[in-house]
Amino acid sequence: MALPRWFPVARKEAVTLFKSKAIWTLAPLLVVWGYGPTYESWDVLGPNVTVGFVQVAGSVLLPLGVLLLTYRSIIEERTSGSLKFLLGLPLTRTDILVGKVCGRSVGAVVPFALSTVVLGTIGGVKFGLFSPLRFIGVFLVTVLYIVVLVSVATAASAVTTSAVRVTGALFGGFFLLLTLGWKRIGVGIYSAVTGNAVNPFDPPADGLLFAILRVSPGRAYRTVTNWILGVGNSGGQYTSVIDVLYRGVSTNEYVVDAAFSGQAVPVYLHESLGLVILLFWGVVPLVLAGYRFKRGDLA
Amino acid sequence: MTPPAIETDELSKQYGETVAIDALNMTVEQGEVYGFLGPNGAGKSTTINLLMDYIKPTSGTARVLGHDPWNDVVACHQRVGICPDRFETYESLSARRHLELVIDTKRADDDPRALLERVGLADAVERPAGEFSQGMEQRLALAMSLVGAPDLLILDEPFTGLDPHGVALVRDVVEAESERGATVFFSSHVLGQVDLVCDRIGILYEGDLIVEGTLPALRDTCDLSSDATVEDIFMTLTDGSASTTERDA
Repeated sequence: MALPRWFPVARKEAVTLFKSKAIWTLAPLLVVWGYGPTYESWDVLGPNVTVGFVQVAGSVLLPLGVLLLTYRSIIEERTSGSLKFLLGLPLTRTDILVGKVCGRSVGAVVPFALSTVVLGTIGGVKFGLFSPLRFIGVFLVTVLYIVVLVSVATAASAVTTSAVRVTGALFGGFFLLLTLGWKRIGVGIYSAVTGNAVNPFDPPADGLLFAILRVSPGRAYRTVTNWILGVGNSGGQYTSVIDVLYRGVSTNEYVVDAAFSGQAVPVYLHESLGLVILLFWGVVPLVLAGYRFKRGDLA
Repeated sequence: MTPPAIETDELSKQYGETVAIDALNMTVEQGEVYGFLGPNGAGKSTTINLLMDYIKPTSGTARVLGHDPWNDVVACHQRVGICPDRFETYESLSARRHLELVIDTKRADDDPRALLERVGLADAVERPAGEFSQGMEQRLALAMSLVGAPDLLILDEPFTGLDPHGVALVRDVVEAESERGATVFFSSHVLGQVDLVCDRIGILYEGDLIVEGTLPALRDTCDLSSDATVEDIFMTLTDGSASTTERDA
């Protein structure tokens, strides 16, 4: 079977990242960031605490790193004129976008995969054999998350006409608001829509609130990985979920099982739907951007 | 009957109020070497950008080797080699990687080394393009345009940044590709370097193709002697008013 036409573009993108120092710096940083055993999480998870390290590695530093590795991939070529080589090849503009996303994804998955192996080795040695299925499950969901982030960054890079604007939109909008600060913003939106004030330490059992919180790709990612890890239904970091559910500590993390204790949880709050939200983020921005990229002037 | 290599019909491109090219009608037959000349800002690059689907037309149509250049990009570019103007190469990638990108996308079987030898970059095959001089980048782009023995070779300002050896190289390549049967369409704002290689010349001025033909025919049109240069023709046709564009030429 012949390789797809965009394959050489994807290879070029991956090789470009392999030749950059950035990804080889990111790998050890992810290990340091992710490794963080606590007595509480050990009590609840046992050896599977190692699986939690992977989630932490994937949570703040990874999205930031992936966006940094991707956001200039098209606007830079447009500004420098090298895009004329790609556009001159027998490829549709869609092929170019697909090649960019696939190649950059491979380039970004590599440092994460390396750090996962290191975290797994350290965790396995120190805390014993963890569930390989859960470990691989969280790894694979994180790979999906990486592809989603690359897709969003590529979409932004494809429609912008200046590197400054794409930086603002991605890091100010997507990363800061949707990924880091969404808990506060999502609750604010909920309060504005419903008129209900929310006490973060005792949130109401309202499906809408939790659904809004879950729209964030970062929280959707953690919802799915918490599900695989088996700690509870929440978009928070697994350690916070453990604090709420197992230690009775009052924190400002939103956990479905705590808010709905004893009541029926709406179906749409099932953890698996986090995957649907991730897929939404992976597909919709890129399709919208592709629509414009296909019709626009690129030189 | 083979379709023309390039055919435009009332092709226009406007940016807001600015008319970059205005209802361009141009035909380049297969097998000829066509010099697309004119001062900077005349619309040469805009025309090439349109033909290469870098930009979309405001109105009008075009065919490249019989293909619709905007809706049939894959089939069209499979047969076209482009050496663009105003580009940078990929600084971290070697010359060989640049060629592999084109060779593999076109599913051609060229040897990267052989192509690089042909443009005088034999000793830079594995060097990252970030270390290249402007002339070397131009040679690399030329090598990339030759991949897959294209039926149509589009060279946008191919003499940019080249020393006299480089200029001679471009001429040799144009001749060899023409010999092979390819159509060569190249643009240049340097009017003096082209009479030697072109079968036909078209002069673009302020978005219009003001004249087209072989050099002797153009001399006749302008009532000039047989030793008149392209520059003389250009000056005659534009009534010496080239001074407005001269500054950035």
